[in-house]
Amino acid sequence: MTATAAPRTKRQKKQAQGPYGIVGSTVEALDERLGIAKGGRTFMDKIFPDHWSFMLGEIALYSFVVLLLTGVFLTLYFVPSQHLMKVPMNFPYKPLRGDTVSEAFYSTVNMSFNVRCGLLMRQMHHWACDIFVGAIVVHMARVFFTGAFRKPREANWLVGSTLLILAITNGFLGYSLPDDLVSGTGLRIADSIMLSVPVLGSYISFFAFGGTFPGDIVIARFFIIHVLLVPGIILALVGAHLGLLVRQKHTQFPGKGRTEGNVVGSPMFPVFIFKTQGFLFMTLGVTALLGALAQINPVWQFGQYYAAQISYAVQPDWYMGFLDGLLRIFPAWQWNAWGHTIPLEVTIPAVIFPGIVFNIAMAWPWIEQKFTKDKEIHHLLDRPRDVPHRTAFGVAFFSLLAILFIASSTDVLANFFHVSLNTVLIIMRVLTFAVPIIAYPVAYFICVELQAGGSIMGKRKIANVVTRTEEGEYVATPSAPRPGDAHVELDATPVPTFIVEGPAPESDEAELVDAEVDEGVRTASR
Amino acid sequence: MTSHHEPADITTVTADAPQMQPLAKDVVSMERWIGLLFLLGIAFFAGFGVAYWQDGTFWLYGTLLGAGLVAMGAGFIAWGKYLLPRGPFVEERHTLASTEQERSAFSAALMERGAGEIKRRSVLGTLLGGSLGVFSIVALFPLVRSLGPLPGDALAKTNWKKGMNLVDINGRKIHVDDITVGGFATVFPEGLQNTDEGQAIDQTFLIRIDSADFTTMKGREGWAPHGYVAYSKLCTHLGCPVGLYEQQLEALVCPCHQSMFNVRKGAIPTFGPAPRPLPQLPLSVDSDGHLIASAGYNEPVGPGYWERP
Amino acid sequence: MVRMLGNISKLVARAGLGAVGVGALALLATPFAAGATTLHHSIAATSTVKCPAGTTATYDPPYGVPASLIGEDATTKRKNSGTPYSSVQCYNAAGKLVAYGNNAILYTYPSENLVPLGEKLYQQNCASCHGVNADGVLPKGTSGAFPDLGNLGPATINFWITTGRMPAADPKEIQASRKPPRLTDSQANAIAAYIDSLGPAVPGTPEVNVKGANLTSGQTLFALNCAACHTITGGGDALASNTYAPSLHVATVTQVAEAMRVGPGNMPVFSGNLTDQQVRDIAAYVTESIAKPTDIGGVGMGGLGPVAEGFIGLALGVGILMLVSFWVGERQ
Repeated sequence: MTATAAPRTKRQKKQAQGPYGIVGSTVEALDERLGIAKGGRTFMDKIFPDHWSFMLGEIALYSFVVLLLTGVFLTLYFVPSQHLMKVPMNFPYKPLRGDTVSEAFYSTVNMSFNVRCGLLMRQMHHWACDIFVGAIVVHMARVFFTGAFRKPREANWLVGSTLLILAITNGFLGYSLPDDLVSGTGLRIADSIMLSVPVLGSYISFFAFGGTFPGDIVIARFFIIHVLLVPGIILALVGAHLGLLVRQKHTQFPGKGRTEGNVVGSPMFPVFIFKTQGFLFMTLGVTALLGALAQINPVWQFGQYYAAQISYAVQPDWYMGFLDGLLRIFPAWQWNAWGHTIPLEVTIPAVIFPGIVFNIAMAWPWIEQKFTKDKEIHHLLDRPRDVPHRTAFGVAFFSLLAILFIASSTDVLANFFHVSLNTVLIIMRVLTFAVPIIAYPVAYFICVELQAGGSIMGKRKIANVVTRTEEGEYVATPSAPRPGDAHVELDATPVPTFIVEGPAPESDEAELVDAEVDEGVRTASR
Repeated sequence: MTSHHEPADITTVTADAPQMQPLAKDVVSMERWIGLLFLLGIAFFAGFGVAYWQDGTFWLYGTLLGAGLVAMGAGFIAWGKYLLPRGPFVEERHTLASTEQERSAFSAALMERGAGEIKRRSVLGTLLGGSLGVFSIVALFPLVRSLGPLPGDALAKTNWKKGMNLVDINGRKIHVDDITVGGFATVFPEGLQNTDEGQAIDQTFLIRIDSADFTTMKGREGWAPHGYVAYSKLCTHLGCPVGLYEQQLEALVCPCHQSMFNVRKGAIPTFGPAPRPLPQLPLSVDSDGHLIASAGYNEPVGPGYWERP
Repeated sequence: MVRMLGNISKLVARAGLGAVGVGALALLATPFAAGATTLHHSIAATSTVKCPAGTTATYDPPYGVPASLIGEDATTKRKNSGTPYSSVQCYNAAGKLVAYGNNAILYTYPSENLVPLGEKLYQQNCASCHGVNADGVLPKGTSGAFPDLGNLGPATINFWITTGRMPAADPKEIQASRKPPRLTDSQANAIAAYIDSLGPAVPGTPEVNVKGANLTSGQTLFALNCAACHTITGGGDALASNTYAPSLHVATVTQVAEAMRVGPGNMPVFSGNLTDQQVRDIAAYVTESIAKPTDIGGVGMGGLGPVAEGFIGLALGVGILMLVSFWVGERQ
């Protein structure tokens, strides 16, 4: 690799650059300055398990990317101001012409009607939000049911749960920004929930709204929290989440050649990069298709929020549904004594209950440790059926939240099934207790049954050949496995640094590669 | 097939190792499929460009963009899954924990250089702690206290006063003959119908449930002239406007969480999560036949809060 | 539990997938934006109210409802309301009131010639419940308590019959449901003529002139007065004690105006506190903007709101992406 004379031909130029061409020289230049080669290769060799359930977190990550991209677009048009203005008389949507609306509302409908791609971006943003929170929940369920949160990953579980809370919070903040009838009603309810906090409630409310509801500043405040503060924290925590993941390496399901001491799967480069980049584009694409074909939050149909207006059947976005559901079915209890009121009918369902839910979720690794006394480090995952109590608890917990979510549409259910609202409410109250209580033992026994079923599940059935003996007896014998029936799983191999052409190198190029291999090995072992 | 050298992270593998083979059985046709996906992606993206340039309809360019991304993403994934080495590959997991010695060296450094120093000069340490504490408390003042005024008794008051006219959203006074039995109007104190305060706090639901004077409950005699009753429109549950009136059932329903109130009996809650009746505004009729408030509300309107008696 | 799940899945299907499938076709036909049209902002001019041919007009500002019909001195009413529109009352040669109103809504009475036909239709279709004399009195031995129709105006009769609610499918229902009408509009008119002949009452059948309607005012008034029951997108929803607010998506302008002025069933009556202009604005908003929503963002999902959107986001968004990860990853 010593350049003797100035390279003249193309071939000479190529040779002067070394066997790895421009890439090689760039790596050399960077490595001399930053020392990237060793760490960079470790990173490239990082193994990602191939099981599909490990991709769920990526749905969340990439929908967050969609949120950032579309969100930046929206900030270019959105005006976070409650200042009132008149809608121009040439506005495309007739029922708004000449109406008095806030700048926040006008800029939202204006970007929907008058900005090319504006509505697409708005709808993609909202759909991506629904998907973001949904994917976090699904990912979290996977981590929960397989025990991936166990030591040493408790910290990452905490980071992840915090991300869920932040995602929900930011979803609600964003939902409040357009200042339409539905979001205004949501703010009104949020204000009342703040008021329900004992002792501090009215202060929280006054400080949030800058006075009595609705005030004139809440949207400006929510805007900056929504676009800067919370996304910044989310971004930092996503970095921490992934950093911890790289540092601690992935968990994996037990299987052939998989131990507590290794990780089996595909290397970061190039296999995983290809798959995951494709997945990023798929997420973008699905969000764009939803944004193009399915209308979400058509605020022009709702109109500007005025505090005296109200629509029936207003609900929050789905991830707040469980709170709304519990608020609906909770009994009308209030505590009133010594000149003070605690509106328990609000405080318990909207403040204490979510507090309990998220605290249980965040503290779960330690709660479980209390029961199992298991302080060992785990890198191999549990099959849910093998940990029936955890699985049963998780099923009961999720079913409780699911019932509360359904309870947030008592009116829709009553209308749909033509039963009275009162009946639906009472049914929901019963189900809230009954479903988790039934779900726990049912899930538990299903797990136990599956354990007893052994490993037949998921494998292809083997045909039985029934023959009739001369005595007239029928005998069933399992047939020989057909070709392709047998599940072939290769042994895992370390990620190769060098790929050697074939067993017996023949061509000149192969020799060249071989020579480089030797040199590389020598260099590395120095 | 694999050879380990020193250090152990240099490995080689022959190109014909089974792990290095693509998953695709027919590589050529897989290449064609992936090529087709990328071509589709190019076509869709170009279509999006044209649709955007020509200001095509919303769903058209959105769909083209989405379809292009899906096609390109699918091609990318298929390339990674079917044409790249199928694996599996393995990496060793090295224990993250340090040795006992390193650990105690770290703890010792922490204690002796830092905490130990502070401990030795405990008075200074206490003072430092004190100033940090005071700082963190006063730092909250500009951050929190400046956010808004103190509540005071603002939540307990409305703008309704004796003799105020009831007006609708357009500022029209309500005449006793305006509303027939079974009708309603949302009313505000005169002059406040277009203000945030008037709409958010003072909003009142005026219903005519009878043609003659009427009493909703004991102690409220004369509050409902000509069968008009007026209740605060703020739900006592979460403050939504209780705008849903069913005239035959004489029930007010809150559209948010379905609390129901009996209009004829002082709006006591009959169903749902609302804990208190809607406050009633006493009414009378002025000499022109217009409805006026004969007093303000005698209790705070809206949802419950700590200072509410 | 199973049934519950089944029902929920039905709900999901109705709210989400069905809507996407059906709506995708409708979408193709949706134009991007409504064309610009001039708005008539000011309340209508005064002199354009016309009586039907062959009748005599009496201009009677400011209110319009003939005093004889409401039993009080109409002209003294609403002294301070300053209603700035003219009104008219039209009498035929025999001195019978044929129409009254203004250029937003003209309330008309059916011709007397229709009374014999109307009586016949009444006896065939209505008398079994409302009594042979339309007074709600049934022969002894028959059960049921049904309204006396004698004091109802043509608008009420017209509303119940043209929305198909009457004759009722099941008279014991808590709330009669909208269905394809059994009687034609002209038959409804005839029955209204017969009921009117038993004793004159207001209101007449409203003829709404939507031309000058202000949709902006309609939207604001709808959000203040109607959305609490019918929802802001007009889909309707369940109310107390097994009643419900019907969907407004199929209502005609006349029916909206009738319902507001009459207050059928549990619906409140919107009388003097809303002017005819405002009723006209709301009726126009309902039939133009709510029944034909501007779903420029794709399939509208029936205006069911965030719960339906959540189902779509989870089922289609997260669901499809989970299928993708199922493809990308290994399934063993």
